[in-house]
Order: sequence, then structure tokens, then C-alpha cells
Amino acid sequence: MFILSTLKDTVALLPNTFGLPGEQALIAALNKKYANRVLHDVGLCICVFDLAEAGEGKVRYGDGCLWHKVVFRMVVFRPFPSEVILAKVKSSSEDGIRLTLGFFDDLHIPLPYLPIPSAFDVRERAHFWIPEGGDTPAAELLDTPTENRMYIDQGEIMRVRVETDEFYDDEPGPPKAAEGVQVKRELRRSPYSIICSISEQGLGPTSWWKQAQEEDGMEEG
Amino acid sequence: MEIVNQRSALLSNFEVLTLLREHEREQLAQAKSNFLVKKEQGSSDDANVNQPLEDVPENLRTIEFEASFFPDHGRNAIQYLSAEYQPIIQQTEKSVKKLVRDLSKYDLTKAEKLQIVNLAPTEAVELYVIVEELEDRLEAQMEEILSAVQTSIGSNPSTTEFAAGNDERPSGSGPDPLFLPHEDYVDEEHEVFAEEEMDDPGGFEGDLEMDDDGE
Repeated sequence: MFILSTLKDTVALLPNTFGLPGEQALIAALNKKYANRVLHDVGLCICVFDLAEAGEGKVRYGDGCLWHKVVFRMVVFRPFPSEVILAKVKSSSEDGIRLTLGFFDDLHIPLPYLPIPSAFDVRERAHFWIPEGGDTPAAELLDTPTENRMYIDQGEIMRVRVETDEFYDDEPGPPKAAEGVQVKRELRRSPYSIICSISEQGLGPTSWWKQAQEEDGMEEG
Repeated sequence: MEIVNQRSALLSNFEVLTLLREHEREQLAQAKSNFLVKKEQGSSDDANVNQPLEDVPENLRTIEFEASFFPDHGRNAIQYLSAEYQPIIQQTEKSVKKLVRDLSKYDLTKAEKLQIVNLAPTEAVELYVIVEELEDRLEAQMEEILSAVQTSIGSNPSTTEFAAGNDERPSGSGPDPLFLPHEDYVDEEHEVFAEEEMDDPGGFEGDLEMDDDGE
């Protein structure tokens, strides 16, 4: 789920770092700029892996920093589509389930990607799956006895398959005013979100599939 | 800022964990030495040229190592990668290399091999999820793949504190591997370091309470 991306950038080294070995100072400056930030169409940057090339420092008019052109590789978090990862359930709602990886929170499972058939139990605030349910509609599912239900509780570790990821570039524009009334700003979307699915055999809470060798057989489409 | 190559390489979770742990060690060492320097210099007031590196920037800390306000959630990358439900803590560089070599015999794509290394499936159903059309392609060899995975995690049943630096690290930063081996696991390269666990009791004059046996 981690990749290396090669980036090229120009970084400024402050004068108080001139005593340090150049590589160390450059890596520190790059980490400060990129760590824990999302790069559009690249992913979530974790840290610098190494430097490939670094030019000599040039002084610009107006400040005392040395500017270096650097080509470097960065560890980036970006699972590829159809990759299987382990994630923890953060919360459930009527729209689906939200997962977390600790350092990254924007993983969602919308309703269509839950195993079929499943429903949302409002009292428990959790989704559940009926393994032998077949095609029963959601309303009937809520009448099933609780022993047959396989709940997806908060904090459970799940195997999920990544379906797609979305980058949203939020550029602030001028505030739009219509007829003197300020139009409400749109809901802030996260810059990077991942849609996952657990609708296949073998996905979902890991406890469901432990020693479940009898589940071998046909895969769901 | 320009993106030269969006995806120049794939990294396994194990490699990332090793990298992050090494960073953390370096940070701790740096912070320690900064602290010692500060202590020594007492209340020196000039702009200290020996400490140009400010504290670790917060964004790096958040993502990499520092636990935040919710310690039970495991809010950072190192905690996620070294969680108990992950097989990564049971892997070592050698076991990963061996597993990749074993997997190369089979007809698997790069992505599938990477996922097998990351997820360490021990049961058939897990393998089905990772490898598409498992039955058509690898029916007979499924068992072999599963047992190869089992060997790679099975031989290191307990947590390894720190594994040897992997080959892709830049040569300038090769620290001595701190390696606390579990009794069952013996790696020829690290036998030397196994003996170095004991701290030097030190010979300061002011050190009381030390028995003079080892003196």
C-alpha cells in the first residue's frame, strides 16, 4: 500500500542549518514541507526516502536562504485499486461504514459494497450480515433472530478491498454572494478518500474467516 | 514542484516499518544529544550553532511516530504497521526475501506477490481474496504457497525489536543494527550484536551502589 514517488522541487535552507551536513538539512526541510500532506493524484506523503540529485545552493535576492533544486524519492501511501488491506472500523452509519488506519481516516464502505444481504441495526448502531440470507430485502432482515446475525462492531479489524480513490483539490475561491445573502459554503471534502468493499468471500472482519475452510468454493462475482 | 515519476517503486509494509523505526531511533538519538548539549551549556544564551535542527516538525511527528491524544487508537503509521493483527512484526528481512524468492516460482503478478508479503495469508480463503482466479491458475500449488507463507512468519514467533537495515537505504545512514533476537531465531549476521545487550555499568567516581565485582 506504500509506493515510492520521485519528485522534483526547490527548497530553501535557512542559514541556521548551514552547519549541518547538506543531505540531512535537505531531508529535514523536505519532510517539514511534505510529511502528512496529500499531494493531488499522488497520495498521502509519509516521509522522504532518499535524495537522488541535489543542485548547489543559490542565493536569491531578498533573503539569506540557499535554494536547492532537489530530486528525491518519497514514501507515499496510496493503495492501488483491488488491493486488500487490513483496517479498523471507526464508525457505522446508515450510509455505510467508516474505517481508519490510524494515520489515515478517510476510508469508506458505502452501502452497495457491503456483503449481501446486510442491514443496519439502528439500536446497535452497527451493520450486520446474514450469511444465509440470500436475497431477502432489508426490511425483512431486521426481523431475523439476532443469533444468525454477524455484526460489524466498532473497533473490529477487517480485511477490505480498495475499489477506488478520489482526490479532491480544494482551491479557495472568492466568497460567492447571491442577492446579498451569503451562500453557504459547500461541505468540506477531504483531499483524499478511499472507497472500499467487503462484498466478497474472505473480506470483512477477520474473525469471520478464521478456520472457515468450508467457505472454499465459489467466489462471489 | 514537479512529479517526475508518480510510482517509481512499490514498497512492502515491512520495508516501510523498518524505515520509520530507523527514523524514530535517529530522532531519539538526536533529541538525546540535543538535551545533553543543552544541559552542559547551562544557560548559554547565544544562538546555538550546534542545534540548528529544531524539534521534529509536527506533521512528521503525527504521521510517523508520536502517539497522539488517543493512545489506544494507534494514531500513527508505526503503530498501525506494528499492530498485533498484522503479520509484519513477525517478519524479518531474510524471511521476506525468502518468501519473495519462493513466490517467484509461481505465476503471480507483482501486485499479488506484494499483497501476499503484506498480508501473510495462512488460509485458503485469504489467498482467494488476493489472487484472482486462483483455481484456474494455481489450483495445485495453493498449499505450497500457504506453507511458504507460514514458514516466513512461523519461524519468528515473537516481536523483533528492530530488523537489520534493508538494502535500499542510502549508504550514508547505515546505523549499527540494534537487534534483540528471540531465542529460537538465530541470524548469523547478528550473533555478534546479541552479546551487546548489557549496558556498561560505568565507572564514574560518583557512582555508588555499584558492586565492585565487575570493576
